[in-house]
Amino acid sequence: MNELVLLVPEAAAPEVEAAVINERGLQRAELRLGILDNSKANADHLLRMVADQVRAAHAVKSVLTLRKSSVAMAAKPEVIEQLVNDCDLVFSAMAD
Amino acid sequence: MSPLDEFLNDPTSTVRVVDDHAAVQRLFLERGWSDGLPMVPPTAARVEAMLAYCDRAAHAPVAAMPPRYGAVTPIRLAINAVMAGCEPEFFPVVLAAAEAMCDPAFNLYACQATTHPVAPLVIVNGPIAREIGMNARVNAFGPGNAANATIGRALRLALINIGGGIPGAGDMATHGAPSKYSFCVAENEDENPWQPLHVERGFAPDATTVTLIATEPPHNVNDHSSTSAEGILKLVAGTMRTTGNNDIYNYQDGTYPQPLLVFGPEHAQTVAKGGLTKRDVREYLFEHARVPLGAFSDEYIELRFRRKYPDAPLDMLIPIFKRPEDLLIAVIGGPGKHTVVLPTFGATQPITLALRRADGALARSVLDFKKKI
Repeated sequence: MNELVLLVPEAAAPEVEAAVINERGLQRAELRLGILDNSKANADHLLRMVADQVRAAHAVKSVLTLRKSSVAMAAKPEVIEQLVNDCDLVFSAMAD
Repeated sequence: MSPLDEFLNDPTSTVRVVDDHAAVQRLFLERGWSDGLPMVPPTAARVEAMLAYCDRAAHAPVAAMPPRYGAVTPIRLAINAVMAGCEPEFFPVVLAAAEAMCDPAFNLYACQATTHPVAPLVIVNGPIAREIGMNARVNAFGPGNAANATIGRALRLALINIGGGIPGAGDMATHGAPSKYSFCVAENEDENPWQPLHVERGFAPDATTVTLIATEPPHNVNDHSSTSAEGILKLVAGTMRTTGNNDIYNYQDGTYPQPLLVFGPEHAQTVAKGGLTKRDVREYLFEHARVPLGAFSDEYIELRFRRKYPDAPLDMLIPIFKRPEDLLIAVIGGPGKHTVVLPTFGATQPITLALRRADGALARSVLDFKKKI
């Protein structure tokens, strides 16, 4: 039986550079913790529990908690910038 | 050198399969390229024929489609259009619609990934909709028209294969919706007593446009009884004011949802003969399509409304949309006393794009895109 040559309809994901983890920041004596609440129901409870667990295991200097205005929209650039500048470690979460 | 040669010489861009209908269809399903229905095999000859109606460079990306952010190139889109069964003359509409839905304001990332049953609806206006035989009348949202069906299907296949909206992976819809197979119509401009949608959105009457709106499937308003504009709008308001739609809570979060009201032409004529403009319709529905706060559960009120209305009583009426001008209105369909309401995903903006030739001029015909051989 003959063969067909078909063209592939899929497009690959673009190549991106892997983010570099700031290990020096994670080795600080006191961590600056960031919490990004995505505004889903119960995300705040889940994230608070995570923050408590980190506090129990490691000295925490500060906790910066920010909230997305809409769960379905990306965080605003100024929110991302603040987390990058003021935190060593950031947690975000889906919930419900 | 044909634009296809690069593809054909790249082993990752082609696949070989026995020339047997069942084997080909099985391959599509195994690779996850399919919507579940049989598809047309995308051979080089068919893809080349599809690209005959494209005046852009075949490999030049026109957009990146989320959530995978795959490059929407004419050639990759043409492969999906072939698989969907598109005629080459339909391809300019497919390309414009794919570009429009990737506009960041449309928020396709969330529309693709959400649990909500949203699909990008394409409404085509202008001369090319008529030229390619699109259906704006009887059963326009339903089956039976090749252009409506296959343009919408080509876009869905692109959402899966280019955008990565794979059911259960990039597309996490709880139920999904039949509109995720195909969701494309033309506006019934001939029976629209008001300005057509694209003119109202700033385009010339003889422009051909695609308007992308991220909506739920149509919710029907059956009104064979009312004979006045106010009577029909009263029924429409009753259908719009539901608690389970995304629009009413999303605008509390700072977005501007724009739900869509699609009058059947008979209802539109009755409303217009009553002396109402589109602006009047919007203002009536802004005032009357409201839900009392107490219709929502206590938990829902706490999560969605209390930040904005800390002391509001439970009988406070909340509009379905934020401002009168946020309601989109179109006229689509055939004879019959029906109108449909389409709530949106909420965190999304409609996008209208004109079909333009590569030199930027408005396209007057699909022949404007046809390559000279």
